Amino acid sequence: MNTSDKKDTHAGMSSQDPDLSRIALLENIRNEGRVWEDLCEQYGVDNPDPPWKVNLEGTCDALSAEACALPLLERRWEEDELSETLYSDVPYPERQLLALAHSMIRRGLVDEEELARRMKEVNRRLNMV
Amino acid sequence: MAEKHKAAPMVEEVSDFEALEMAVRELAIEKGLFTADDHRRFTEFAHSIGSLPAARLVAKAWLDPEFKKLALEDGVKASLEVGIDWLNPTGFGTPSDYTDLRVLEDTPKVKHVVVCSLCSCYPRPILGHSPEWYRTPNYRRRIVRWPRQVLAEFGLQIPEDVDVRVEDSNQKCRFMVMPMRPEGTEGWTEEQLAEIVTRDCMIGVALPRPDVKANAKRPVHKAIHPVEHH
Repeated sequence: MNTSDKKDTHAGMSSQDPDLSRIALLENIRNEGRVWEDLCEQYGVDNPDPPWKVNLEGTCDALSAEACALPLLERRWEEDELSETLYSDVPYPERQLLALAHSMIRRGLVDEEELARRMKEVNRRLNMV
Repeated sequence: MAEKHKAAPMVEEVSDFEALEMAVRELAIEKGLFTADDHRRFTEFAHSIGSLPAARLVAKAWLDPEFKKLALEDGVKASLEVGIDWLNPTGFGTPSDYTDLRVLEDTPKVKHVVVCSLCSCYPRPILGHSPEWYRTPNYRRRIVRWPRQVLAEFGLQIPEDVDVRVEDSNQKCRFMVMPMRPEGTEGWTEEQLAEIVTRDCMIGVALPRPDVKANAKRPVHKAIHPVEHH
């Protein structure tokens, strides 16, 4: 399969281009969030992938297979678009995560405000001593 | 006397990205998009896959010129014949890997080797999980710049008149190497051939040999000058 074939295939994957308007919550994470590479350096950890990466993969798979809520090829097509635009300055797999959240919010699968609230709740829970 | 056990370093803070991943997953489960058990099954699958389907693809291609042509032209379609559907490899769902597999054919004058210099992209559905060394900066950085030197460290000496081509994986493409069929395997069945196509052969850091099987026990070599214990 050559490059032009691939673009043609991609073009057929999504009925419309992804909504590339910025989402405040995700912009804040993009600007303020600490990526795995930085955390590894600070804490002396040499695992190349963040522990949550496998969970992210599981979520992507389950959303496609179990829910049909976000088919694989649509998600990947949007991830590619978002990775080259809004989240181009974010490393992988962080940008895959941002792209997934972006696609889910734009589809109404999750709401931006409830996602922000849940993140606070997760932070509180994980930081409990 | 108990030895002092030093804890391995770990990241001692919850990043926004970690919280985001968990929040997305929890909300999806609460909304009924999938269950926690669905999620667990997918992650378990991801940890249980192996390289046998890719070995079968190579062995089949060695025996069948038409299939070899298909494998080189359309790796995804050829994968179907060894039981891997890149759109549904688990049997119960889709992988998050991209679905463009390219099979790289070694020739007497060209040796391929695969890397992901950016992170750790790997053709999981057909080759299983990547080995730990594949993910290390040592391999990722050096194989691109000094491929012959790094291959030599794996015990693979490439003659000067053979080109070494390093294929860099990315989010869009996955690669696997189709090594040349070794001498001494004439008349072998597909099953026999598949046994000698090991994971490392398909990453490109080793060559298949008739006497080396993927699951064979390692020979034990006795020390020439054994240390005497008193």
